[in-house]
Amino acid sequence: MITLHHIPFSRSFRILWLLEEMGLTCELKQYSITDGSLRAANFKAISPVGRVPALEIDGTTIYESGAIVEYLTETRPDLGLGRLPGDPERVAYLEWLGFAETQASILASLNMQHLFMGDPTPAAPVVLKLEAARLAATLKAMDRTLADRDWLLPSGFSAADTMMGFNLFSAPYYVKMDGFPNVLAYIERIKARKAYQDARELDGPQEFYKKDFYDVPQA
Amino acid sequence: MKITLHHAHEARSMRVLWLLEELGIAYDLKVHNFFDKSLRSPEYLALNPAARVPALEIDGEVMCESGAMIEYLCELFPDKALGRPAGDPERMAWLDWLHYAETIGQHCANLTQAHIVLYEAHMRSPTQMSLEARRLHKVLGRLELQLADGRDYVMASGFSGVDCAVGYGVDIARRFVRFDEMPMAAAYAARLAARAAYRAAQPPENATLIYRKDFYEVPNV
Ligand SMILES: N[C@@H](CCC(=O)N[C@@H](CS)C(=O)NCC(=O)O)C(=O)O
Ligand SMILES: N[C@@H](CCC(=O)N[C@@H](CS)C(=O)NCC(=O)O)C(=O)O
Repeated sequence: MITLHHIPFSRSFRILWLLEEMGLTCELKQYSITDGSLRAANFKAISPVGRVPALEIDGTTIYESGAIVEYLTETRPDLGLGRLPGDPERVAYLEWLGFAETQASILASLNMQHLFMGDPTPAAPVVLKLEAARLAATLKAMDRTLADRDWLLPSGFSAADTMMGFNLFSAPYYVKMDGFPNVLAYIERIKARKAYQDARELDGPQEFYKKDFYDVPQA
Repeated sequence: MKITLHHAHEARSMRVLWLLEELGIAYDLKVHNFFDKSLRSPEYLALNPAARVPALEIDGEVMCESGAMIEYLCELFPDKALGRPAGDPERMAWLDWLHYAETIGQHCANLTQAHIVLYEAHMRSPTQMSLEARRLHKVLGRLELQLADGRDYVMASGFSGVDCAVGYGVDIARRFVRFDEMPMAAAYAARLAARAAYRAAQPPENATLIYRKDFYEVPNV
């Protein structure tokens, strides 16, 4: 029995999507980013930091999305979604898992400052501008990679792609995507996958964004 | 095997430098100044287009993510037993704590940016700084809990590569969060600091440092 603690359109979507790719069913426990349910006592008992994902599996609980991706692919090697030690793509695979969190940390910081600090936000425009520029730089790096391949790794789709599950939904709220045609085409390829569509079906409505684009406010 | 680590004192590259020392293997070290243009030189951008440290050149490949480097180096030298390979009873925890170290790292990076890189008051938001410090504190609560059973290191079986990742994070976090209510984590940091490999990875005297104050208070809102 696998239980995923989940918020729609957050980092836990990476896991929801990967589980669908692997054909593993889980019990889904839904929380909301806005209603304080992450701070409730029953969730505190599950996640000491009060964040999602939290995955109950094999008798324990694991929290970090990157670790969950590694663990699931290692323990189910026959599904071929990881690149395990000895694989020629091992380094690239680990690098993309790390890259995904580097990029996600910029998005998390933008979410925090644009969405969760009040309206109008007391965030510093200099920081918002800097973070958007850093985000654009990570998208540019992806765009370069995706120029000659369909998925992040040359050999084809892998769990590293599912780490982009939160990132690629969130990024267009902060950066205009027209400059990254290969990333846009990649997003379309992702949306065409059956497992992705099934995961979206289970996901629930997003409660983060109230408009289509968050510009840097004028100082 | 040829290994070159690109490093800036007190940056995330310290994790990898420390691990290389723990592994006791041969490597070349290139130290960059975090504040001048050296990370933006064409030669360095060819290695790491994001202009960040660390970068690790290893047998013709270039790596840019410290967590990936730690995992890979531990795999390459299994006899040093600093990883917990697939099938090990601590494997899941080892992976979780390796990635957890980067959760600490992200909050520290946001705080470093606000307190140190953006040094003028109008460039920063006290609301954000205080929120980041509180979130970091909460993240560290998980470490305090893990150490509550009296274990010396994050893995019950003993020191491992994840201590280089988490330990570095704790070191930086101490500049932004008070550890008075986290005695286990404070003792853990002291235990790590006593290791020879940790000391070998510390900046030499007169080095250009990122952190020049012991503690960075949140400015008044
Ligand atoms: N490094 C963690 C980050 C987890 C995380 O920050 N999750 C966010 C959602 S994307 C969360 O739960 N935020 C709620 C909060 O911090 O209160 C991972 O990769 O899983
Ligand atoms: N996720 C990367 C982050 C690396 C990173 O952000 N390094 C910082 C120093 S701790 C850096 O070089 N920053 C320079 C910059 O962002 O301009 C890792 O873990 O290696």
